[in-house]
Amino acid sequence: MNTEVKLHPSTELLNQFIQGELVTGKSVVVSAHMELCKSCRAKAEELQAHAVSSWVDPGSALQSDQPSEVDYSSMLASIVKSPQIKSEPIEELVEIDIDVLNHSIKLPKVLAKAASEGLQWKKVAGGISEAHLFLDNETLCEFIYMAPGCQVPVHTHQGSESTLVLDGSFEDELGEYKASDFIIRDGQHNHQPRSKEGCLCFAVLDSPLKFTEGLARLMNPINSYKFKKATSRLA
Amino acid sequence: MYRNYAKQDVFSNEVGLTVRLASMNTSTTSLDTEEAEDSAVSDESLLIAVGNTQDINAFNQLFERFSKKIFALGMKLTRNEQLANDLIQEAMLNVWQKAPLYDLDKGSAKGWIFTLSRNRCFDMLRKQKRQPSTISADDIWPLESGAEPASVHDDMAGQQVELSLIEGYFDQLSDPQRAVVEQIYIKDRTHEEAAAYLQIPLGTLKSRLRLGVAKLRNLIGVDQ
Repeated sequence: MNTEVKLHPSTELLNQFIQGELVTGKSVVVSAHMELCKSCRAKAEELQAHAVSSWVDPGSALQSDQPSEVDYSSMLASIVKSPQIKSEPIEELVEIDIDVLNHSIKLPKVLAKAASEGLQWKKVAGGISEAHLFLDNETLCEFIYMAPGCQVPVHTHQGSESTLVLDGSFEDELGEYKASDFIIRDGQHNHQPRSKEGCLCFAVLDSPLKFTEGLARLMNPINSYKFKKATSRLA
Repeated sequence: MYRNYAKQDVFSNEVGLTVRLASMNTSTTSLDTEEAEDSAVSDESLLIAVGNTQDINAFNQLFERFSKKIFALGMKLTRNEQLANDLIQEAMLNVWQKAPLYDLDKGSAKGWIFTLSRNRCFDMLRKQKRQPSTISADDIWPLESGAEPASVHDDMAGQQVELSLIEGYFDQLSDPQRAVVEQIYIKDRTHEEAAAYLQIPLGTLKSRLRLGVAKLRNLIGVDQ
């Protein structure tokens, strides 16, 4: 496991994560990073402790008036009749073949589970393959594989894109990214990722990519279409 | 203190329970004797009693302490009163079902209940939005997501020698003494939590602890 993770989710994002405020796609990518990153686990634990103490604080802002006329006694009576769970469920191991890679890698558990129904790889352009996952109606989630030496056309993001590097590395104008790095890109960044050694990532977009240069611009309506299709399949 | 309370049958008066729940909304200042007494029992002891002996009174206590909080969490995340009310049921049912899996290594009871509530809320919303069920909240927030065992060992490597020395003496304690010393010094529990866990009175725990520690000190050769 890579011990030198350089890029992490922001404190704000981690906090939204532990509060349960993120949509599923974003929650999954943050969770997958945390499985690979000890320092984020420690940070999340601290944030959670903080969230819990403000949750139970009688003076906290998080107060709502529970309808007082509701009678909970029958609810309680039915709950205590349910059987209890006496032992931890045995964790099923999910194995996923990443058939675009010529070697096997171990995916973070949450991603392996999310992909357990199988990945359908599609070649898109110049050595790039994608496999979509349908996790929620608001994000586009996909595994992206860049073959050694390939390059994505220059693009910006209309929303934000969270990318977790799973294997190999890629670089763009702003730096080089290795396994376990968590990268956020949004409308401010105009970037052109490329990979020398090949790279497997998991990316979550909360709106479609926008290509900004050359012929690739012709693909913009197609990208919007793809995004709509991916996110509406569940609606 | 808790034992006295456990003898009362809350369920013998269901109306009484509802009234007390309703009164929580208005009076936070005037604690009557019963409530003052209740607050002395830790959430952890109550949860462990629910897990160990299916203690319905302890469960009712937890319900009183947490249902409002769960409702507030539900309102924040769903902005829907009906869903927030459903969440009380989902989350408290989960607390009842999983209570036997709780122990103090899993952190504070309120943290554990928060985790269950958030997770049930997340799954409820996913179901409502008809999102696929390939993954659930428990995959995203694994319950054992705390410290990784390997890292704990790293930190403790330096103490290993000393510990193994003490462990040798540890075996010379009687079983009940060793259980108590283990709860307090190894698992780092409070006296109250350890007594609830071992299901022995607090006084018994304290005397076993005193005798056990004295014996260990003697064996190691520490001055008292």
